[in-house]
Amino acid sequence: MTRGGLILAVESSCDETGIAIVEDGSRICSNVVASQVAMHAAAGGIVPEVAARAHLRWIVPVLDEAWAAAGVTWDDISAVAVTEGPGLAGSLLVGINFAKTLAYVHAKPLVPVNHLEGHLYAAWLADETRDEPEPIFPLVALIVSGGHTFLVEMRDHLQYKLLGETVDDAAGEAFDKVGRLLGLPYPGGPEIMKAAAGAVRHDVTFPRAWLGDSFDFSFSGLKTAARRTIATETGGEGTAAGESPLSVDRVAELADGFQESVVDVLVTKTIRAARAAGARSVVLGGGVAANSVLRDRLAAAAEAAGMPLVVPRPGLCTDNGAMIGAAATRRFEAGVRAGLDLDAKPSLPLARR
Amino acid sequence: MTGRPILAIDTSGTRALVALGRPDGTLIDERRWQAGYRHGEELLTRTDELLTSNKVALAELGGIVVGTGPGAFTGMRVGIATAKALAHGLDIPIAGVATSEALLAAAREVAGTWKSAPASPSRVAALLLPAGPSDRVLVLGGVATLLRGGEEPQLDAAILLVAVDLPDRAPAEALALGVQAEHGLSAALLRLGAARIAAGGEDVARLVPEYVTLPRGITAVKGEVRWSHDRH
Ligand SMILES: [Zn+2]
Repeated sequence: MTRGGLILAVESSCDETGIAIVEDGSRICSNVVASQVAMHAAAGGIVPEVAARAHLRWIVPVLDEAWAAAGVTWDDISAVAVTEGPGLAGSLLVGINFAKTLAYVHAKPLVPVNHLEGHLYAAWLADETRDEPEPIFPLVALIVSGGHTFLVEMRDHLQYKLLGETVDDAAGEAFDKVGRLLGLPYPGGPEIMKAAAGAVRHDVTFPRAWLGDSFDFSFSGLKTAARRTIATETGGEGTAAGESPLSVDRVAELADGFQESVVDVLVTKTIRAARAAGARSVVLGGGVAANSVLRDRLAAAAEAAGMPLVVPRPGLCTDNGAMIGAAATRRFEAGVRAGLDLDAKPSLPLARR
Repeated sequence: MTGRPILAIDTSGTRALVALGRPDGTLIDERRWQAGYRHGEELLTRTDELLTSNKVALAELGGIVVGTGPGAFTGMRVGIATAKALAHGLDIPIAGVATSEALLAAAREVAGTWKSAPASPSRVAALLLPAGPSDRVLVLGGVATLLRGGEEPQLDAAILLVAVDLPDRAPAEALALGVQAEHGLSAALLRLGAARIAAGGEDVARLVPEYVTLPRGITAVKGEVRWSHDRH
């Protein structure tokens, strides 16, 4: 078997330790993720110090697993890639120093990758389990996660123009906070989706922040409205995880109303932005893209607008090494390299307007 | 020199070091620098320069010793992540040595020959380290205790106090001993680590640092990580 363009990619920007080996920017040879969700669930959110320590604990076993699953040798690897930002400084530091030392020891080029670019390039990862085409330029991408919500236009590889972004909370953050108010476990995203699926009536309506013609997003008003409604219905008692005074049916209806509001705004703005940009395809990525209501709704709207939607399967929407490997391949081909002095860039932007 | 040289790294304080030693743990050469909170920028280039100027190839190294603190978050992450990748990448043993243990060993050695604080190498010593702008941490008998604000350590007069990286925040004598201890840190790390490397080292995966302190309210890590694979 000939192997060209194999990249070893390391991702540690938040609370997932991911290492993957990716071929030609699309084929996944191996992709191993150690997720700390169970660890942080007790704290109801990510504790940065705990996250960084867990990265240190798990990074070697993750590398060993990824290496064994790919069945490659260092001679096959053309470069080592790593997320340089944005993300939690302490978490980024672990992956960056681990990856650059591997590059140093094995005398391989080091390729720095923007984490958000990784979420975009997850759309290029080939996968036998789906039959969507590759993204076609120009495209508009919606990246939506616990830390980010933005719309970006790409007219070619590695070229990004920011169309809009959240002015307050990320959508995933709103899911987490409202999930907690409803007494659902952390993280809120999948839990709200699960609860909403049980809704029989769909008559709870929460506000939508359109912000005029702008492609920016705002979720803080929605969060406040949800908090007020929940407080009124629970008599202001507040809820602890697993012991909501609301009935299961009512939690389902409120979750459904909240999710509808988020999905409506995300889908409407994305399609409007794609039309305005003359896009030929739409890309969806980031952890919240694992939400099947968002995926289905955006797919239907994009198809109606004559643009195919490309969305990675849920396992590739959440943080992982393969998406970093996919983006790194394009960067490697474009000659992007980092030196041994590479440091974490916690607030690295992807694009400007 | 028989056997392969070993490399020691310590990034627990605002000063960082990388040192090259013989297999028996004696110091060959070292590099020290003021790293502040940017240890990661220079660690590999300093390591490479140390190896090159001593004509030692990476592949000749026989083991990695790394200081495990207690120390500040940033430095510990950089030092341990780098040490792990070196040991794993070169397929050589790794030994974690508590930086506090190495500093106290170095302090005891100088204290034996020190005029104003006459002490034998067996005398009990305690270490005082910074933990942020106002807090300090006391390490005594392998146990670290956080001292908040201006809280003073309650110590028996017979205990030798060694203060490191605490300008104007500890008694002058303790500070002077701390400076000496820092000078001897590379040698002490190599000496303590060499024996552990000769014994095969430890599990590279399980090695994690000791922090000076965790945020208020956080006491222990609960739960496990969840694994996922995909192969195509
Ligand atoms: Zn992400």
